[in-house]
Amino acid sequence: MQDPSGPAGPPSPPASRVEPTLIPQPTASAALAPSRPVYDGKLGELYAIYLRHLLLMLLTLGLSRFWGRTRIRRYLWNHFSILGDRFEYRGRGLELMIGFLIVVAILAVWAGVVWAIWHFGFRDRSAPGLDIIDVVFLSIGLIGVPLAFVGQYSGLRYKLSRTRWRGIRCAMDGSAWSYGALATGLTFANAMTARLLTPVVSVNLARPRIAHAHVGTQGFEFAGRAGDIYGRYVGYYFLNIGAWIVAVGIAVAAVTGSIARLGGAEFEEAFTHPGPKLFLTIAVAAFAAYLLFGVMILPLRCWWRAYLYRYLVSHTRAGTVLFATALTTRQMWGFLVLNYLIVMLTLGLGWPWVIHRTMRLIAGELWVYGEPDGAAIGQPPQRPPRFGEGLLDMFDVSSI
Amino acid sequence: MPAAPGTIHGRYYDGKSACVREVFVVTTPGEVILRDLGDSSLVARWPIVELGILGDSEHEAVPLLVRGGDEARLAIEDAEQRRQLATAVPEIAAIGARKPEPAGRILQWGGALVAAIGLFWFGIQTGSDTLAPMVPYGLQARLGESVYRAIAGNRPQCDGQEGLAAINQFANRVAAEAGYDHPISVRVLKGGPVNAFTLPGGTMILYGDLIALTKDGDELGGVIAHEIGHAVLYHPIKGLARQYGTQQILKALTGGYSDIGTLGSGGALLAALRNGRDFEREADEEGVSLLEKLGLHADGMSRFFEELLKAEPKDAAKAAGIWSDHPPTAERVEATKRPATGAPDFTPAEWTAIKSMCR
Repeated sequence: MQDPSGPAGPPSPPASRVEPTLIPQPTASAALAPSRPVYDGKLGELYAIYLRHLLLMLLTLGLSRFWGRTRIRRYLWNHFSILGDRFEYRGRGLELMIGFLIVVAILAVWAGVVWAIWHFGFRDRSAPGLDIIDVVFLSIGLIGVPLAFVGQYSGLRYKLSRTRWRGIRCAMDGSAWSYGALATGLTFANAMTARLLTPVVSVNLARPRIAHAHVGTQGFEFAGRAGDIYGRYVGYYFLNIGAWIVAVGIAVAAVTGSIARLGGAEFEEAFTHPGPKLFLTIAVAAFAAYLLFGVMILPLRCWWRAYLYRYLVSHTRAGTVLFATALTTRQMWGFLVLNYLIVMLTLGLGWPWVIHRTMRLIAGELWVYGEPDGAAIGQPPQRPPRFGEGLLDMFDVSSI
Repeated sequence: MPAAPGTIHGRYYDGKSACVREVFVVTTPGEVILRDLGDSSLVARWPIVELGILGDSEHEAVPLLVRGGDEARLAIEDAEQRRQLATAVPEIAAIGARKPEPAGRILQWGGALVAAIGLFWFGIQTGSDTLAPMVPYGLQARLGESVYRAIAGNRPQCDGQEGLAAINQFANRVAAEAGYDHPISVRVLKGGPVNAFTLPGGTMILYGDLIALTKDGDELGGVIAHEIGHAVLYHPIKGLARQYGTQQILKALTGGYSDIGTLGSGGALLAALRNGRDFEREADEEGVSLLEKLGLHADGMSRFFEELLKAEPKDAAKAAGIWSDHPPTAERVEATKRPATGAPDFTPAEWTAIKSMCR
């Protein structure tokens, strides 16, 4: 039974280990039978593809990354299935490269315009030491923030347009530029209010990304409201401040104590002429810092982020299909922190492992309730973009 | 007509809706026929000549069978059944390809990657030595000029023409001794720091404060000869090539992951600094050697380093250790010590002109 006023969340998934954030469904019917996605990729296979990608990156000085990324997507998409049907990725490396080149050309035009303005208007009045190169990079840095948001949206649109499920193409409508303007405005406002607007930002940026996505003609809906999650956020916000004060206090005391014990000259000598002792000390200090940060700050952040994800997922639906997740704080720690450490400590070589872990996490923790009415879903009317995510590639770390 | 045991089962997507039909596959000499698994009704007849495969067994778990120009798809989950179909219809043999074993490919690609990194590293170190002189001189000169403009900005230059001419004449004479067949252009900027450096294309920058610190023409001659050492050994271009190459290796290995990239930049910086220290030692050796070949005083370089050490007894290069782009000054004093024999690097008139050129 659905709430006629709008989309509602499904019942709690089986064996939920966390406090449910879902809207209970008193009469969950057989039509809402739960299922989970399946990811059956193998780490070894992913590594084989990734190592070839790295080799080609080296031999082509990075040019092959568009094709490498495409191959990795093909592997991940097709090893992930929902309701027994695998996804397909039909993007091409050439599309990504052309998208990238278009953005390079646009930025070159931008640099030319900035150069002309500077050359004819401000060259003689510029600050000492400020060269045209500085001006161009500064201007690109300024437009980089909104463009990165535009890139995120258009990159998602490209990926969806190359994704198929049951032979039906996914799609995304809405304007990437509107999203970029909204995201820039909200991010700026959040920064100006000491991040007290985070729930507003999270919900209002999730909405266009979810509500404009389609599987064929079937759109997604999002019923989240910032007011629902403010209570939890305010608790997190002040706990976080307290934790930072304590952690920084401990760190400062430890560092000043160490320097005082060693003496300035010995400290300088150890740093400029490093030996095994210095590396060991740095390793111990890094571990201690991580431990401190890990104990004081990260669990709180993971607690909030896990809650946010549960909220966003459970307030999303696609027609009669509902979603939920019981993602725990510990799992979020594994996703945010452990994955980061794996990549860092393996100097990047652990990246496929991180992707593999993430896919397994999604498959293990996403619950899908109900089945779509396949006959009612056709190919989407939206024309797919011709080229790929150039802006995302230019301004953002586009992992896959 | 129920599907017989051993038949090929698949999931059929019609490409028009998101409906799924469980089907079984029947092959004839000219067609692949898909029939509904429940009631055996005809679902699709695909001429073999129009069949295609989407994906491959390396990347896709289930490469899809399609009919050309059609959005419909057939997914056969069972690998053995895909091989059965491939045997029955050799035109689509690729659909039955086995998934390659990852262990062998990891060894193959991993080994190739390690070898490529080794070769690349070796190539950067040695190839830059060979290739740097081959970079078109015009390109080097343009690069040097643009760097010079960025460094010099609106700073005033020392414009004493006689002094400038003496320095340029000396620099070109030393460079010619090394067989360097491009002009050297020395520019002198007023003020500090006490430094000199060489840009690609034979552009050299001297600072007025360095000239002021030198006690005689031989000390200045030693400094200029050191810089000529950089120019004739193509250090600026080699440095750029090595830095670019190291960055490429790190970028490729880290896949562009941002924080790793930052770590990588640190590594590239340390490699560049180490290159810098090696380049300085080579330039010292080359500069002194060129002065000796010309029969000029070659003791000035060592004496100038002593002046530097006196001005800064703490020896910043030694204190900075691996973070320094120069070797410790005391080491350079010892390495460049030569007897005070031969002709002076500059005549007294030239030296007087040089000393007054920045006034």
